[in-house]
Amino acid sequence: MRLRLWGVAFVLPALLFFAFFKYGPMGWAFWLSFTSYDMLSPPRFVGIDNFASLAADPVFVQSLQNTLGYIVASTLLITLAALLLALAVSTPVPGARACMSAIFLTNVMPIIAVCLVWRFLLHPHGLVNQLLAPFGAGRIDWLTSDTTAMPAIVMVTVWRFAPYFMVVFVAALAAIPAEYYEAAAIDGARGLRRFRSITLPLILPQLFFVVVVAALLSARLFLMPYIVTGGGPGGATRVLSMLIYETGFSYLKMGRAAAISVVLFAIVLALTLAQMKLFMRDEEA
Amino acid sequence: MTTRRDFLRRTSAGAAALGVLGAPALGAAQGAPTRVPMKLTYWTWENPQQRPWQKKRIDQYTQLHPNISVEFQYFAFSDLGKKVSVGYATGTAPDGFTTGDWLMPTWLTRKLIAPLDVQQLGYGSLDAFRNDHAPAFVAGAVHEGKAYGYPLWFYGVPLHVNTKQFREVGLDPVKDEPKTWEQLGEVAKRLTIKDGSKFTRQGFKWAMHASQWTAFQFNPILLQCGGQWFDKHGKCTINNEAGVRAMTIRASIARKYGAEDPADSLATAPVPWMDWLKERCAMFSSPPIGPLAVKPINPQMEAEGYYKAYVMPGVTEDKRYSTCYGFNCVVNANASKEKQEVLHHMYRFMMSDLRDCWIATAPLTLARKSGWTELPEVKSTPNIEAFLRAKDTGVFLPRTPVWSELADALHRAVQKVMLSSGDIKQVLNEAAAEVDRATAELKKG
Repeated sequence: MRLRLWGVAFVLPALLFFAFFKYGPMGWAFWLSFTSYDMLSPPRFVGIDNFASLAADPVFVQSLQNTLGYIVASTLLITLAALLLALAVSTPVPGARACMSAIFLTNVMPIIAVCLVWRFLLHPHGLVNQLLAPFGAGRIDWLTSDTTAMPAIVMVTVWRFAPYFMVVFVAALAAIPAEYYEAAAIDGARGLRRFRSITLPLILPQLFFVVVVAALLSARLFLMPYIVTGGGPGGATRVLSMLIYETGFSYLKMGRAAAISVVLFAIVLALTLAQMKLFMRDEEA
Repeated sequence: MTTRRDFLRRTSAGAAALGVLGAPALGAAQGAPTRVPMKLTYWTWENPQQRPWQKKRIDQYTQLHPNISVEFQYFAFSDLGKKVSVGYATGTAPDGFTTGDWLMPTWLTRKLIAPLDVQQLGYGSLDAFRNDHAPAFVAGAVHEGKAYGYPLWFYGVPLHVNTKQFREVGLDPVKDEPKTWEQLGEVAKRLTIKDGSKFTRQGFKWAMHASQWTAFQFNPILLQCGGQWFDKHGKCTINNEAGVRAMTIRASIARKYGAEDPADSLATAPVPWMDWLKERCAMFSSPPIGPLAVKPINPQMEAEGYYKAYVMPGVTEDKRYSTCYGFNCVVNANASKEKQEVLHHMYRFMMSDLRDCWIATAPLTLARKSGWTELPEVKSTPNIEAFLRAKDTGVFLPRTPVWSELADALHRAVQKVMLSSGDIKQVLNEAAAEVDRATAELKKG
């Protein structure tokens, strides 16, 4: 009994921390989503009004679509790019490790600096367009056209986060016993066949991890679109996290902002559960 | 027993009777407002000229009154309102703060700021206070017969032009001053230089970087076209005929005259006039720009003085005016009475040396009419006539509690028109609907 109490005492600080700073605010936000609250006068219970009005709000619908598109595109491309980079730097050639370090540097740069630099790179007369010009590409208004702004944000996101997940894949690839590849080679398996039959099944847990974490990261990402495009042009890159901020702190509608954050939470939860189910089924198979 | 408030009232009234305290002569209040130790909190916004000057004056005040200390904090221009809101929500709002006058309805509708005693600020009456300030300012600071804001700066938005570039294309900076939007378009077209599809120089440039700027640049065009932001029932009317006409004028520089590339700008929130300073555009409208702002970016332009300011064009020559906006010192309604009195005293002290204020913050014009425009330092400021005229003839922004929603909706509309070739009527319909939804939600409470 005494031992059990000691155990409780040891975990109590962590439990209290989570209760006060994680689950407490989450519960508070959930409650706020059923209120009208402008931060300047006390919250007033309004039932499901906030949620009901969201469905009829084109700004919310556009932001929701942007968010879903952004999550899907970023997650897929981050995962693909990270895996390709990992395969490349895991190749036993001189300088591969140095390349990995250089690539990973993109992840340690302050995100504000990254965003500002990309704003200039993607300027109509910026470096990206200048590099594309010799290939016959005309001027592309990356950040000011409603057709290219979101792809540009996705591109910057991938550039920023793929190297982080590359490290996860590198570790997974290094853990695969070399004997498997030797045996496969004796059996005549090469290239894609080797990747599909040995590498992919053995890195599946890490792949699952990367997909889930990249999706969570994408769903919550705020700074990238906020700084690079400000949500523009015409709301083309405004994602739900930006709308939450605008609604709460610019328009002082905390109840409504909380309702949007509950929707975002539900999306993230649904995505995670779906991915877990999908990957577990694959693993069982 | 005579309270400090009574004493201040009597001295103010007495001085007014002697003609000393007419609007023009607002000396610093004399005497200590309190002898007990007091700690005040004061928040303001960051600006390379205005923030240091406020700090200096507050430091001078606390040196004169060592029992009073002021915790001075400043935030980015666009963040101050949000910080104050969060401060009110968490019970940590400052005792006094500065606020853009467009945010006054936000504070007033929720009774978050206290009415000011104009006599403690050195005015004999509310009328004296009104008469000493531009009407556009009074519209934002006075509510239901009480003053809620003590003004600091208040400026119009003149048109800044590069006179060297004018001369290069054979334009006379005096004779060829654009007085109507059509003339502006024609002049901008002549000033434009293109290399294929790339603009080497844009004739005129609208700000595209922030919704607040979009709103204050669009505001006068809308009013000149006979439009208004809201009808008497509070319904947003920017999508009516006048609104469409105003947006058509706004878009004409790029669409009709081909003198602007809305996607090509170096502007950032702290330096929206960067394209103009870098001579990438020949004309730009912004609050007064003076040598101190020009010199760090373009020392040659500052040294040779080849820039000039005009009052903004109008739909006709007799409708030349711009938006005016300004900044007020306000008092937190939750601050104790003692603190409120000291804040009155401190604000009055801050604005008691207008010469010093002008020297430190020129050419940002002051809200007050009296006591500074005749100073030699003011009269010798380049372009001062245009700056003063822009201030005195300007129109105010819509004072509405859904200001942020309005500015954002308009900004998105402008982006859709200018960057995505959106249909003007359709995007204005969307913007108006967005604002109406915000208004309806506000009414629901």
